[in-house]
Amino acid sequence: MRRTLAAARFSLSDRLRRLHPDHAIAARAFDHAFYLKTNPDVFAAGADPLEHFMAYGWREGRDPTPDFSLGAYLAAFPEVASLGVNPFVHYLTNGRPKPRPAESPLGFRHEVISALLPVEARIALATAAPVAPDPEARLAAALARGARDGLRRLHITFSHDDFTANIGGLQLALQREAARLAELGRDHLHLYPARAWPVVRTATDSGALGVVLNGKAGGVFHADVVARALAGATAGAPDGRSFAIHSLLGHAADETVEILAAAGLSAGTFWLHDFASLCAGFHLLRNDVQDCAAPPPDSAGCSICVYGDWRARQVREHARLFQRLSLTVAAPSQVTLDLWRRAADYPVAATVVLPHARLTPREPAPVGAGPFRLAFAGLTRAHKGWPIFRALAHRFADDPRYDFVHLGAARDPHSEIRFHAVVATPDRPLAMREALQAAHVDAVLVWPLCRETFSFVAYEAVAAGGAVLTGPDSGNVAAFVAETGHGRVLPDETALTTAFESGAILELARAKRRPMLYDLAYSALTLDLAQHPSS
Amino acid sequence: MKILCYSSFTFSYLNRARVLYQTLRKFHPDWELAALITDRPPEGFAFDPASEPFDRLVWASDLDIPDFDSWLFKHDVVEVCTAVKGPFIHQACGWGFDAVIYMDPDTAALGSLEPLERWLEEHDILLTPHLIDPNDDHAAILDNDLSASRTGIFNLGFVAIRTTGEGARFARWWNDRLLSYCYDDMPNGLFVDQRWCDHVPALFDKVKVIRDPGYNVASWNLSTRKIDVSKAGDITVNGAPLRFWHFTKLGPLGDTMTRRYAGRNFPVYEIWSWYKRQVTAATDPAIPERWWAFGAFQDGSPIAKPARVLYRERIDLQQAFPNPFASGRGSFQEWLEHEGV
Repeated sequence: MRRTLAAARFSLSDRLRRLHPDHAIAARAFDHAFYLKTNPDVFAAGADPLEHFMAYGWREGRDPTPDFSLGAYLAAFPEVASLGVNPFVHYLTNGRPKPRPAESPLGFRHEVISALLPVEARIALATAAPVAPDPEARLAAALARGARDGLRRLHITFSHDDFTANIGGLQLALQREAARLAELGRDHLHLYPARAWPVVRTATDSGALGVVLNGKAGGVFHADVVARALAGATAGAPDGRSFAIHSLLGHAADETVEILAAAGLSAGTFWLHDFASLCAGFHLLRNDVQDCAAPPPDSAGCSICVYGDWRARQVREHARLFQRLSLTVAAPSQVTLDLWRRAADYPVAATVVLPHARLTPREPAPVGAGPFRLAFAGLTRAHKGWPIFRALAHRFADDPRYDFVHLGAARDPHSEIRFHAVVATPDRPLAMREALQAAHVDAVLVWPLCRETFSFVAYEAVAAGGAVLTGPDSGNVAAFVAETGHGRVLPDETALTTAFESGAILELARAKRRPMLYDLAYSALTLDLAQHPSS
Repeated sequence: MKILCYSSFTFSYLNRARVLYQTLRKFHPDWELAALITDRPPEGFAFDPASEPFDRLVWASDLDIPDFDSWLFKHDVVEVCTAVKGPFIHQACGWGFDAVIYMDPDTAALGSLEPLERWLEEHDILLTPHLIDPNDDHAAILDNDLSASRTGIFNLGFVAIRTTGEGARFARWWNDRLLSYCYDDMPNGLFVDQRWCDHVPALFDKVKVIRDPGYNVASWNLSTRKIDVSKAGDITVNGAPLRFWHFTKLGPLGDTMTRRYAGRNFPVYEIWSWYKRQVTAATDPAIPERWWAFGAFQDGSPIAKPARVLYRERIDLQQAFPNPFASGRGSFQEWLEHEGV
C-alpha cells in the first residue's frame, strides 16, 4: 500500500498519464472529497485522489463517487472486467445505464429451481414444533359463551390458516364471508391447521386444528375434540346450518367429514381458491417455475416435478372428501372451473361460478401528462411475476418514455425501483385500489407464473384506471382481460419486452384509452351463492 | 423382443445405477436388468442384491477374464468399468436374449425407449453420437465438437445390439479390443471403450446412428438441444420426445457445463434437480464417497495411476507379480517402493 501511495505522488509516468484522455473523462465526474473521505490512506499519503484512482484505485475496487459502485458495474457488465479497462471511464463513455443488480444470465427460474425444497422437507418444517392442544373444556365453554344464536344457524368454514391473522386474497374473501355472517347474526366457526401444512393431511398424520369462533381465537384442539364439542353444542335439527371448505390443506378428509357430521352436516360448498384439489402443487406450477395445467399424473412433466410424487395422495384425500360429502363446487371464475372439470373426476352435487368482485363504473379517470407509468402491485414473489417486472423496470429505467413503481407491503431490497408501502387490511380493504389510483398508473403488470383463480389485483388495477398487462398462463387474469378488454394478454416475456422497446405498449396509456374508474362490489362468497344459479 | 439391459459400475455409483434401473423398470417392466460390478462392497454396507432394482448381478471377476487380478490392476476405475463392458456383452449374446443394451449408470430414462426395439428389428447395432448438430460458436466447438473428436464420435454411455449377426460380430470384436486396449491414452488414439467405436460404421453393416435428439441428452449436446415441457406434460427435445438423459459429472463440474450450454432453457435445470433428488434418495450413507475396493493395495494404501501404467507396460512385472494388489514382502508394492519411480 505504502508503495502504491508513494508511486501516486512521485511517479513520472503518472504525470505523463495525466495527458491521457481517460483522465480528462474521469475528472468530469470524479468526486475528490468523497474519495479522500472514504480512503484515509490516500489522504494521509497526500496523494492526488484522481491520480491515485486512475493509477491504482480502480484496480483495488475503490469507488470514485458515492453513487457509482465499481463492483456493481462489473457484476452488471462482466464483459468490462474482461476488457481490463477502468469501469468508471467505461461507464462515462459507453452510455451504459447505471449499474443495477444484474439478473442472472440463467434467468430467475434457475434460482427458483436451485432453491426448491422437497415436499417432505416442507412437512418436516411444519411438524418441527408441534402445537400443544388446549383442554377440551375450553372449547365447550367457548361454544357456549361465544355463540351469537346458540349455533342454530352455525356456518363452519375450513381453510389453510387463520384468516383473521394473515393477509391475502383468500383471507380477505373469508373476512367478507365472516362479516356477512355477523350482519346476519349467525355463528361462524372457522377451523384451520394449527401448524401451517403444505399439503393435505391424511388419517395417519396427527395434527391439531386452530379454532376461530365469530372472529375470536378459540384455542387449539384435535379433530375428535372439535367433533365431540360440536355434537354436544349443536343438538337438534341442523336447519339453517351450513359449511364451506375454502381449502383442505392441513386437514384430513375423514376428520373434516366427522366434524361436519357432528354438526349434522353433509351437504355444503367447496371453493376453488387454488388447485390444491388437483395437486400438492396447488398453484399448478411445475417445480415452481411453469404453469403445468394439471397434465395426466403419469406424464413426464409430473415425473420431474417436486410435487409429482405427492399428487396422488392429494387427489386421494380430496376424492374421499367428495365421496363422503355432497359438495357444490364454487369457482371464482369460469376459467378456473373449466380447468378443474377437465382435470378432476370427483362426484359433485353442482357447480357454480361466483366472482369475488364486480366492477361498477364510477367516473372517467383523470388523464395526466408524463411518461407511461407501469406498476407492480403486491408481494415480490417469483410466482407473482415480480422478477419479470423487475427485469423490465431495470431494462427501461433510463428510457424517458417509461416510469416504474412498486406498490406493496415490502420492497425488494435488491432493487432501486420506486416503492410505495401499501397494505390492504380488513379496515382498509381498498388500500391497493386507492394507491394505484393515486399513482395515476397507466398499466399494472399482473404476470403471475401460475394461473390465478380470480386475481383481486387485476380488478383493483382496472378499478383504478389502469390497464392490465398479463401473460397467457395467468388464468383468470388473462380471461378477465380478454373478456373485458381492459389491457393486453401478451404471448410471452419476449413479447412484453418488445412491446416496451417498440413503444407499442404506449397504446395502453390513459390518454389513449380514456378509461373509467370503478368501484368494486365484493361478494360475500358462500353467503351469496343462494342467489346465484348453479348447474 | 427379449431384451437384456445392463450397466457397469462400482459401489460409489450404486446410487446412480439404482435411479437408472428404477426408471428403466418404470417404462420397460419386461426388460431384464443386469448390474455388472467391478468392486467389492465396503465394510459396513450390507449389499443385498435381491432388494436392488435389478434382476441379475454379474461380478466382473466372474467374466472369466484371464489373469483377472493382473488384468484389473492395469486399469484405473474408469478404464476397467468400461473395459468389462466388452466381455459382458460378448458373453450375454449367448444367454438367450434377442438384444442387449448397455446404459451408463449415470443415465436415466425419462420416456419410453420402445423405438429402440423397433430399430433393432432392422438394424444390428445402434449408437448415439455425442453431437447430431454441429456447433458454430468457438467455445462450443472447443468444448463439444473437438472434445468428441478426441474422445470418440459416439458416446458409449449407450449401445444396443442384436445378439446375432453383425451385433454378435461387434460384441466379439469389442470384447477382444477392450481386453487389451481400454485405456485413457488419447495421444495413442485410445479413449477407453469409446474411441474404438469410431470404427463401427466402417467395420460393420446394419449400424444405425441414432440422430433423434431425444436420446442421450447431455451437457455436451445441450448447446444444440432445446428442452420444452408442454401443457400435456410431454417433455420434448427440439420437438422430439425426451427418451433418456446422460447426467454426466454429477457435481460442480457438471453444473458448470450444464449452465454454460442450457442458459435460460430452464427445464434442463428442472430435470437435473429431479435427478439430484432421486440420487440423494438412492444414496446409502454406508458407502464411502469415491469408494473402490480395487483402488488400493492390500494394506490400504492408494494405488497411483503411474504404478498401473508401469505395470501394464512391463510384461516382466506382470510375470513377476501376478497379484499386484498384494502388500508385504515380495510384492509389487514393495518393488515399487524400492525400485519404482
